[in-house]
Amino acid sequence: MKYYAVFTLFALLFPVSLESQDSRQRNADTNQPAPSFSLITNERLLNSDAEPQNWLMYSGNYFSQRYSGLDQINNENAAELEMQWAFQLRALDRAETTPVVVDGVMYVTESPSNVIALDAKTGSQYWRYNHNLPEDLNFCCGRNNRGIAVLGDKLYMSTLDAHLISLDAKTGSVLWDVEVADEAAGYSKTAAPLVVGDKIITGIAGGEFGIRGFVDAYDAQNGKRLWRLYTIPGPEHPDNKSWSGDSWRTGGSPTWMTGSYDPELNLVYWGTGNPGPDWNGDVRLGDNLYSDAVLAINPDTGELKWYFQFTPHDIHDWDSTQIPILADSEFGGQSRKLMLWPNRNAFFYVLDRETGEFLLGKPYARQTWAKGLDEKGRPIRIPGTSPSVEGTTVSPSIGGGTNWFSPSYSPRTDLLYVMAYDGETTYYIREDEYVAGERFTGGGGVTPLPAAKYASAVRAISPQTGDLEWEYPVQPRSSAGVLSTAGDLVFSGTIDGFFFALDGNTGEERWHINLGSRVHAGPMSYMVDGRQYVAIAAGNVLFTFAVKE
Amino acid sequence: MLRKALHAGIIGLLINGLIGSVPALSGQEKDNPYTTGQDIQSGEQLFGRNCSRCHGLEAGGGERGPTLRAGEFQHASTDAGLFAVISDGIPNTEMVGVGRNRSEQSVWQLVAYLRSLNSEVRVEVAGNPSIGEELYGGKGDCSSCHMIDAEGGRHGPDLSTIGDRRSPDELLSDLLTPNARVQQRWWTMRAVHRDGTEVQGLRMNEGTYSLRILDAEDNLWSFLKRDLRQSERTETSSMPAYGESFTSGELEDLVAYLYGLSRGIR
Repeated sequence: MKYYAVFTLFALLFPVSLESQDSRQRNADTNQPAPSFSLITNERLLNSDAEPQNWLMYSGNYFSQRYSGLDQINNENAAELEMQWAFQLRALDRAETTPVVVDGVMYVTESPSNVIALDAKTGSQYWRYNHNLPEDLNFCCGRNNRGIAVLGDKLYMSTLDAHLISLDAKTGSVLWDVEVADEAAGYSKTAAPLVVGDKIITGIAGGEFGIRGFVDAYDAQNGKRLWRLYTIPGPEHPDNKSWSGDSWRTGGSPTWMTGSYDPELNLVYWGTGNPGPDWNGDVRLGDNLYSDAVLAINPDTGELKWYFQFTPHDIHDWDSTQIPILADSEFGGQSRKLMLWPNRNAFFYVLDRETGEFLLGKPYARQTWAKGLDEKGRPIRIPGTSPSVEGTTVSPSIGGGTNWFSPSYSPRTDLLYVMAYDGETTYYIREDEYVAGERFTGGGGVTPLPAAKYASAVRAISPQTGDLEWEYPVQPRSSAGVLSTAGDLVFSGTIDGFFFALDGNTGEERWHINLGSRVHAGPMSYMVDGRQYVAIAAGNVLFTFAVKE
Repeated sequence: MLRKALHAGIIGLLINGLIGSVPALSGQEKDNPYTTGQDIQSGEQLFGRNCSRCHGLEAGGGERGPTLRAGEFQHASTDAGLFAVISDGIPNTEMVGVGRNRSEQSVWQLVAYLRSLNSEVRVEVAGNPSIGEELYGGKGDCSSCHMIDAEGGRHGPDLSTIGDRRSPDELLSDLLTPNARVQQRWWTMRAVHRDGTEVQGLRMNEGTYSLRILDAEDNLWSFLKRDLRQSERTETSSMPAYGESFTSGELEDLVAYLYGLSRGIR
């Protein structure tokens, strides 16, 4: 595929990457001790699929496929998976972290904004960094941190008090710490940043506090801000007219997850969240651009090249902050540069990522709010589905058909895997007044029936048709991410603590284990000394698994 | 009494097994100075803005936080304790405080609102609780399924303090239309094992891979779903409706007895 062709090209252009890869491989082959961790160059990041033993960024690679090229664990031996080590995180919140692994060193984040460096083979600690936070913080949805980024010998992490920090990868010393936005005004940060060239690209959370969202780029060396793209255009831009009156000033549109990058097109893709106030659209009439959209951004300048808005004038809090999955695959009889997007609004979208053209859209989870999508991909709303004073019950739920937890795409099976939820919420509208630093949501919702009346499922979707290829039902529900591997396995988990492996071709279960607490993170895979591991956080513990030796 | 409800509200925000590590709240008693109807109304607005995202718009529970209307709280029993939890949050959990950006008055109004949802105001009832107690153990046969003070059956909710959680009108409604409001904890299940063993009873819990049942003889069963030939879930109550078998006077007496089952009274 073209995707591999690009990486092959980079490999040829940057032989340093292959050289360092070779030295680590020799180490594995001869079983000679060798130092862990080596410098992460841009070339290695661009070529990350060539070193599947490492997991160099939050979503695995720049295409955010959450796909591991390792196949030591596969359909034939998955039943022999057993736990290798566990690491107890100190904080009590449910972990949402995905570790990054560099040459035998694992970097795992811990709530609220801490990092621990571990020996990826044993789980033993190298160092720990604890970030000091203000006593009281305004944030929406948990003291979360989802992971770090790495470049050179430096790590980059968002902190809950809306800072971006850089740490020394070998000791955890703070190299720089910059304020991205004012936490007292409701801004916060929880997502792993994205390294592109010499820039650290990062988003912002706070969509429930009347913020004005943006995507930022910082100099990797010193933390100096290089550009900012507001996700709500100012009055100088014609798209500002998609907000009635001054509502754009407090319109939210946060960017609270990590984006993706296409090096060939030199475009960064970033999802945007809900317009604010969440459930009262009467005070922000119009399409509310660029909320609930994907933005294609030139990483050199911060210029917006194109956007696609999934849910114009959202009134149900269906953020489009899902991880943008990029795939080069057949579509309409030709190879296309695709973007695959199972959205919180319960529709699955296929876009041309060069132009933003809408190619396909179909429901993948239970939905009762739209008759379908028109030829441009705009939803055709069903009347009477807006939040109301007395309550309006609509699917999907506030949590959505899916949410922030990562989907996965396997280039081997050419299938998109997503954890889908067939839920519903009774939505209410309320009048709300904006006060800086306070919640500004304009309503809310309740789940009308007992939780056991709803269920989740891992769904495998064809990018060519949007059709369901298979599903694996999960009861009562799940908020876990999905990993696919070259062993044609799909890993995910459940809210009641199970972690499981499925055949990526058929959905047939190969293995499961009870980890004792909610799986609320994304799995990843890596290799040390010739042995493949799968890692997953459940509750407050990070577990690793490998096939019995 | 409000202790359990706040527990119910916050327990879901804590990670299993670590509840005991939450520090005890100040035992200092302090009355709420803001308890008028206007204060409760202000508290409701504050709740919608600050708390409903997790606990549901009317404190009935949401996807992230359980109900705060269950009648009891765990982490505070006094107004001062509720004030502390709302103001400061619970350390190392997702329950965050609202104190920094809120005046004391606002936090007290939130306390007043939560209290109003879990009112302790006792009302007069017409029935005779002594006759009700006889009906409970006799004609109604309630004790075969319900427990009071460690005596009785296991197939319905424990009624030892039911008067703290349900009003007389609600109790009457429960007796007349038991299927109107059945929590999933009280659904029933029938499972047939591949070896032919058939088990029917309370659905204790169910997940992707297994289910657990309490059968009519109070045996606990746990099955892997892959071992089952068949399973059926019944989402209605196994309790009979008492509208036809009881006179209105008997119902009043039974309600009077149940309503008197209160921690405060006994």
